[in-house]
Amino acid sequence: MLQLNVTSVIIDEGDYMIKFLDKTNSAARNFYLTSAFWVCIATLYGLTAAIELVAPDLFGNIPSLLFGRIRPIHTNLVLFGFLTPSLIGTALYLVPILTQTKLYSERIANIAMIIWNIFTIASVFTLSFGKTQGREYAELIWPIDILVIISFLMLTFVIIKTILNRKENLMFVSLWYISGAFIWTSVLYTLGNVVWNPETGALKGVTDAIWLWFYGHNIFGLLLTPLAVAAAYYIIPRVTGAPIYSHTLSLIGFWMLLVMYTHIGTHHLIQAPVPQWLKVISIVDSIGMLVPVFTFLTNVWLPLRDRFSTFYREISGKYIFAGTFFYFIVCIQGPLQSLPSVQRVTHFNNWVVAHAHLALLGFAGFIAIGAMYYVLPKITGREIYSKTLANLQYWLLLLGVNGFFLVLTAVGLVQGSSWLHGETIYRVLAEMVPYFTIRILLGVFIVAGFIIGFYNVIMTLLKGKEIQSS
Amino acid sequence: MRMTTSVLFLGTLLVFIVIFIVVVIVPTYQAQTIPSDITRVRTNIEEEGRRIYIENGCTYCHSQYIRPQDWDLGADRIAQEGDYIYDEPILLGSIRTGPDLSNVGGEHPDDWHYAHFVNPRFTRPESIMPPFKFLGDEKIKALTIYIQSLGGKAADARMARQNYWNKILTEAYEKGPDSNVAILHRNIPEMWINMPNPYPATEASLKRGEKIYQSFCIGCHGPVGDGQGPAAKYLYPPPLNFTLLKRTGVSGGIFYYQIMNGITGTAMPYFKRELESEKIWDVSNYVMINFVGKNDANIEPRGIDAAYEPVDSLELKRFKGD
Repeated sequence: MLQLNVTSVIIDEGDYMIKFLDKTNSAARNFYLTSAFWVCIATLYGLTAAIELVAPDLFGNIPSLLFGRIRPIHTNLVLFGFLTPSLIGTALYLVPILTQTKLYSERIANIAMIIWNIFTIASVFTLSFGKTQGREYAELIWPIDILVIISFLMLTFVIIKTILNRKENLMFVSLWYISGAFIWTSVLYTLGNVVWNPETGALKGVTDAIWLWFYGHNIFGLLLTPLAVAAAYYIIPRVTGAPIYSHTLSLIGFWMLLVMYTHIGTHHLIQAPVPQWLKVISIVDSIGMLVPVFTFLTNVWLPLRDRFSTFYREISGKYIFAGTFFYFIVCIQGPLQSLPSVQRVTHFNNWVVAHAHLALLGFAGFIAIGAMYYVLPKITGREIYSKTLANLQYWLLLLGVNGFFLVLTAVGLVQGSSWLHGETIYRVLAEMVPYFTIRILLGVFIVAGFIIGFYNVIMTLLKGKEIQSS
Repeated sequence: MRMTTSVLFLGTLLVFIVIFIVVVIVPTYQAQTIPSDITRVRTNIEEEGRRIYIENGCTYCHSQYIRPQDWDLGADRIAQEGDYIYDEPILLGSIRTGPDLSNVGGEHPDDWHYAHFVNPRFTRPESIMPPFKFLGDEKIKALTIYIQSLGGKAADARMARQNYWNKILTEAYEKGPDSNVAILHRNIPEMWINMPNPYPATEASLKRGEKIYQSFCIGCHGPVGDGQGPAAKYLYPPPLNFTLLKRTGVSGGIFYYQIMNGITGTAMPYFKRELESEKIWDVSNYVMINFVGKNDANIEPRGIDAAYEPVDSLELKRFKGD
């Protein structure tokens, strides 16, 4: 579909541009390209940061490579460069399919994609130069916040409009999650970044922390989780040919996700001076998260009975199953980790970093990649360029994320237990070196996996074997 | 239940907003507005330093709240809500790769921080903090002023003590080495001055002492104990040259006390939070033997020896009753 319509280019260049923006499924494809590119940059920044933790003088006195500046670049790129665009790509494919209609406006979605890339570039530059609001996951300065919100509003508009135009009256569960994710995130991002206060993008005192973590937790919980769940809910039954297990369970899961997740931001502040009742709510609802997690897993895992090997043999199936498995692990860990007695050991150390990588790369990341490999052939009419490379990428990432989880959990326990027994932070630094060194090697696997993935996506678009329409 | 578009678009948004009101808006109105006992408004230069702190992402490694179970830097004051009422944004942090900084003001004099910012390994050899020399003199000073304000009025009081002793100790240093050593030894409780090192300077003790010296002392006092470590040129009064003590005399007790408590007013920090008894006596043995050239380890008065200590042949006769 990348073949240019030569005659139209000759007739009118402006016309060609509009055709480019209006082409069916072009927005989904462009969001996938955005993701496949930015994840390479995101993980390279992560790798650089990991190296600095072992060799702090290696990039010493290069301000734009300072650990404190590249760490937010890494997290923001993973969130807004890698995961969200990829999952948006899938959403833009799924919504028309599930509504049996065309996407309301391919052009608006494509313009949102262009704005998306502009703000992603801008965020790398501003953070490199220390232009930050200093609030974890809400670092981006006001003008960039506005661009993010505009993009989200445009996409929300397109998706709502498409659903309203639907030809299929019944709305499949994936549609609930997708429309929810866009609507909630548009509001959440605006509130969480305190956009009515452009100067600091913050509030005063402990209140600011409560707002920040309401945002910081839900930007994952109400954006990435629903979009990833939506993708799995569609693709697993589709590939296996078996329906999801229970409609009732999917209803329970959807509403419980919205109700529970929205309450739990304060579990990041259990040890900080915030109101006790708020901590209690956040812990209770964190435990309650087990309900939406297990209803979802029941629904998508039970259809896999008897069909697992067929599913796993598919490239997308492999990734998506791994993603749901990581969801299983990370969502048992998460509720336990919200308990004050567990946080006594785990808070403030690399245990949490391990958890974050398992959630973002393991769960959301694997599902995002799997969904992309499922959707790309459908929207381009070309097979994935190399199944071998996609497999290699899978194993590199699998090794990387599992290794990260083990090694960072281990070093987190070393840190946490040492501190509880009265060792100072400084005394434990030297103990961390071997773990951090292994983590660099695992980081190399992850970066390599994503670079291979980017190559594979580009080559699929350019040289993928055309699928014979039956 | 049947999902309709109005339930989906408006119903879920309504649930979201209601929960937002409960878990965010209600606590916002409940928030404490009275400053705590130590909280004060920051000066302009402190605010400038805080901006540099934010720009360079210090908050990704340094938290700013003390929890009840903490032992490390600042652990003597647990965070209260009123500590933060002037903070916008609040900088609680979520990871402690470095120590918590909420009460760091006055822990060290300004020159220690300057050396530490130029390269953290100058003062803390095992630190993994990046060097901040690129900030330049002016910004490092502003950042230091902000760091020294953390802990509010309590930090101000600690800074006053740093400055008071700095003046006295600088004067003594400028009068010459004898006057310098004399004043350092005068400000130690009597019983410590007369106390020999109770740990015998065994080979193992000296090995352990060497490791501690390299992890904690070498940046200022230098590899040969002459006070010419890489941090030295930023510090005033400069680190002590241990070889001076050969002439003036010193005891294991003096070393122990000053390693434990530090010399407030100079860049010499206290180590009692991170080194327990044996480690301090071991490093004292190491310094005495390698740099001072004489040692008082395991001499009288020493009471009954600890069970692990080596028994010499003379003692063995006594114990066996021969």
